[in-house]
Amino acid sequence: MKKVIFYLSLLVWTILFIYPFLWMLSATIRPEQEIGGFNIIPSQITFESYAQVFAKIPIVRAFFNSLFVALTVTTGTLFLCSMIGYAIGRLQFLGRDIIFYLVLITMMLPLQIILIPLYILMVKLSWVNSYYSLIVPWTVSAIAIVMLRQYFQSIPRALIDAARIDGCSELRIIFHIVWPISVPALITVGIITFMTTWNEVLWPLIVIREHNLMTMPQLVTIFAVGGQAESLLGVQLAAATLLALPVIIAYTFFQKYFIESMATSGLK
Amino acid sequence: MKNTLFLPTTFLLLFAACTSDTREAPQSITYWSANNQYEIDLAKVVVAEWNQQHPDFPVQHQPIPEGQSSEEVILAAVVGKNAPDVYSNMWPGDVQLYARARVLMPLNQFADFDSVMQARNSAETLREARSLDGNTYQIAWKTNPIMMIYNSKMLRQNGFDHPPATYSEFIEQAKVITADLDGDGYTDRYMSLLDIRVTWWQRFFDFYTFYIAASGGKMLMQDGKIIFDNPSAVAVFRFLRFLFEKGYCPLEKAQGRVDAFLSERVATRFTGPWEIKHAEKFKPEGFEYDFAPVPVPDDFAGPRYTYGDIKSIVMFKTRQKSQKVWQFVKFLISQKNDYRLLELTTQLPVRKNILQDSLFQNYFVKNPALAVFAKQAEFIRGTDLSAGLKEIFDAISQEYEASVVYGAKSAEEAVKDAAQRARLILK
Amino acid sequence: MLKQVRRTFLLIKTMKILKIITAKFAKNDRIGYALVMPYIVHFCLFIAFPFGFCFVLLFHKWDIVSEMQWVGAGNFYHIFQDKLFFKAIRNTFTFLLVHIPLQIGIALFLAEMLNQKIKFRGFFRSVYFMPVVVSGVVITILWDQLYAQDTGVINMIFVQLGLPKMPWLTSPYLAMPSIAIMATWKNVGIYVVLFLVGLQNVPKQLYEAADLEGASHWYKFSRITLPMINPTMLMVVILSTINGFNLFIEPYVMTGGGPMNSTLSAVLYIYNQGFYFYHMGYAATLGFCFAAIVFLVVFLQRKLVEQKPLD
Repeated sequence: MKKVIFYLSLLVWTILFIYPFLWMLSATIRPEQEIGGFNIIPSQITFESYAQVFAKIPIVRAFFNSLFVALTVTTGTLFLCSMIGYAIGRLQFLGRDIIFYLVLITMMLPLQIILIPLYILMVKLSWVNSYYSLIVPWTVSAIAIVMLRQYFQSIPRALIDAARIDGCSELRIIFHIVWPISVPALITVGIITFMTTWNEVLWPLIVIREHNLMTMPQLVTIFAVGGQAESLLGVQLAAATLLALPVIIAYTFFQKYFIESMATSGLK
Repeated sequence: MKNTLFLPTTFLLLFAACTSDTREAPQSITYWSANNQYEIDLAKVVVAEWNQQHPDFPVQHQPIPEGQSSEEVILAAVVGKNAPDVYSNMWPGDVQLYARARVLMPLNQFADFDSVMQARNSAETLREARSLDGNTYQIAWKTNPIMMIYNSKMLRQNGFDHPPATYSEFIEQAKVITADLDGDGYTDRYMSLLDIRVTWWQRFFDFYTFYIAASGGKMLMQDGKIIFDNPSAVAVFRFLRFLFEKGYCPLEKAQGRVDAFLSERVATRFTGPWEIKHAEKFKPEGFEYDFAPVPVPDDFAGPRYTYGDIKSIVMFKTRQKSQKVWQFVKFLISQKNDYRLLELTTQLPVRKNILQDSLFQNYFVKNPALAVFAKQAEFIRGTDLSAGLKEIFDAISQEYEASVVYGAKSAEEAVKDAAQRARLILK
Repeated sequence: MLKQVRRTFLLIKTMKILKIITAKFAKNDRIGYALVMPYIVHFCLFIAFPFGFCFVLLFHKWDIVSEMQWVGAGNFYHIFQDKLFFKAIRNTFTFLLVHIPLQIGIALFLAEMLNQKIKFRGFFRSVYFMPVVVSGVVITILWDQLYAQDTGVINMIFVQLGLPKMPWLTSPYLAMPSIAIMATWKNVGIYVVLFLVGLQNVPKQLYEAADLEGASHWYKFSRITLPMINPTMLMVVILSTINGFNLFIEPYVMTGGGPMNSTLSAVLYIYNQGFYFYHMGYAATLGFCFAAIVFLVVFLQRKLVEQKPLD
């Protein structure tokens, strides 16, 4: 009996987390007049809302923009931050600790302070309305450096020394010796970087003005808040669903990695 | 060693490459329209025709990528040096700021400006478009006089054969219309719907419209001085407060909800002619609506003014092709395209004698609702010329929310405080 | 001619000095520098420069399009009179006041449940985690509908349960808590996992010993579990605080900062001042002061929670 109540309450919480998504999905495939109410089984199914989204905004293009930006940032971060993390964690050089402290400070620095000057900088570099502004400032991240440094420090010294004796260059050591045994850390950093880049809205809202360059969350935000949706709820929700879909699909396949990496870093 | 240096160097080179990436000016004109569906449709038609006639100088169209407000986007684009060549949804209140920053093209420098514009607009319209430095940076393109749309069937069925013209008539009808129809203890039909968002420009469509009507066409300022702390403004605050207090207006978001007017949950709204296009597309079967001037205080006499919601066309100083861009602007305001504007968006082009023009006359005969707006367009007011206007409206909006929507302040106090803030802003 | 000779001479001399300096560093050093070079470039360009620029902005009035205007300490002076800024800070604390206890309570509860011997633990865990991965924009658009007053699902359920319809987003008192509830729903999955890890690290012997003494459930929870997961708690509090301080997209999409500025978050206010009213100098000053406050709060939290002695 106790067990039944126990599972029942777990189930209630499950519904609490699943139901809103199902409601959203059902709202997008039913006629506009039927939206509202907690019944999630539509009387008739129509894909009109989705058709409207595809007709009104370049959402496919936005998807590829987002994908391109997130992938580039992730690859860039993995490469550059591995190098930096390795140097700080495993090499001796003058001023190394100063640099590490700088990293720690930038990690705590809120973005709000530099939001406006950073925008001005983008203007000066004429990077506004270009992928550069979405990619370059974010390929070096303090959190990634700290996490990778920590992991690299746990690698046995003998392994690296042996490679050095074999005449490996430091770059070779990083990418051929260290990387293969740091896969968990790389996955964690990769997923976090990918997710934060994919979901970022504030920065694209500021630096991207051209429809063809917009990222998916930005385009959907503008669509939902602006007037183009003609205040049709189904269409707005369809745009939101399309935005959620790729992530949910990726999540169902790789949930273990998602949960582990996002929880270890504690990021959203 | 060489190997070690390779990656950082490429990184640096990449930086250098990026910074020197200045875009080559393409042989095309960029044009931003408003981002509602009908204006996008209009822009597509106009641009397609232009591109067919001028393959050497094609226009690229894009709706303005706005979030909550288009002004932030324009500013950022100007600073980012990627403003469009032509923008057709400029709020005249911002023209001054951009003109002062020298990013707008003075249109009167084009040789045929005067002849073109005199053929299209009245002397008064042209005077209003002129900036303080004597140059003209904008062309008043379209106007949307704000009026009251009402569900004529609903009013009729409840025993009202004409729309409310005064505050007391409005309240009298509100008492009947506002009702709990299914007996669950909650109102499900309201007299009206006012957007409660605090965004400054929302006040154009409630407070400012009512204020212009109640004061017989006064604006916020006169000779550069704040004058809106007057009985008319207080009366408007008091009236609108009463609607919220009695629950004749729902205390609910208007944005992101099912259209309350077309789903017959409210009897009236205050809106412009663009609503016709929307209503025709989405209205349920048997739905009847009409337009009337905004209600005024009971003792009001005189012409019924309203807010005109004029939007202008401006040219940003961009690249060395201004003559071509000017050609496109002229094309955009030609009689044919002004007619398309009316037809495709149900918004009124700012043209003199529009009611007498035979081309437009036919349309008005077929679409009497728009004729009502065209007549109203002769009694409209815009907004004052002041760089601080946005902040003044923000101050009013803050007071409006506190007093009208939530009743935390008396009408007198709210108007007084708003005016005080406004004077401070002007200093 | 003379000039050229002198210049060449100077060049040779500096080269020599440089050579001496570089010779001082081991080979290892040079590789180290080469590897951290991207960081240094990034730091100079995207951290140090904006920071320096921000410092300049603090003392200027600037609408981006016109010339900068020196105003001395005017921006700081203005902040002290800016009721809205303090309101925004207060709003953030309102948010945290609802968000943190709710977050900890629910996460701890769910983690406790999942920590029992149960089937489908993985399934439940991934369901609770799902909103975490979905973009905040989606969650906000979705909950905006759920919160609708007359037609929203939540109010419909309330009516079914015999409760009154609530003005979730239109009451100045409820709007911010509503956003906090939504944020809790979105993020609680992370904290469930964090607590779960924390709970699994509590030594079993402690519970067994308590069982021998016949301790109650509550006793075990308050005397063993809570103190043992204190570090996780600290992390949860700090992370939620930072999340709360970064609140932007939720009010931007749902309420625009209203009603009565009750959901105006600090970031939204800074965004509005900068990109709505073109007060770049003032926005930079706001950002600076706000960052200082965030720093202080997080620092204090750390001190407070860390000083709590472990039982």
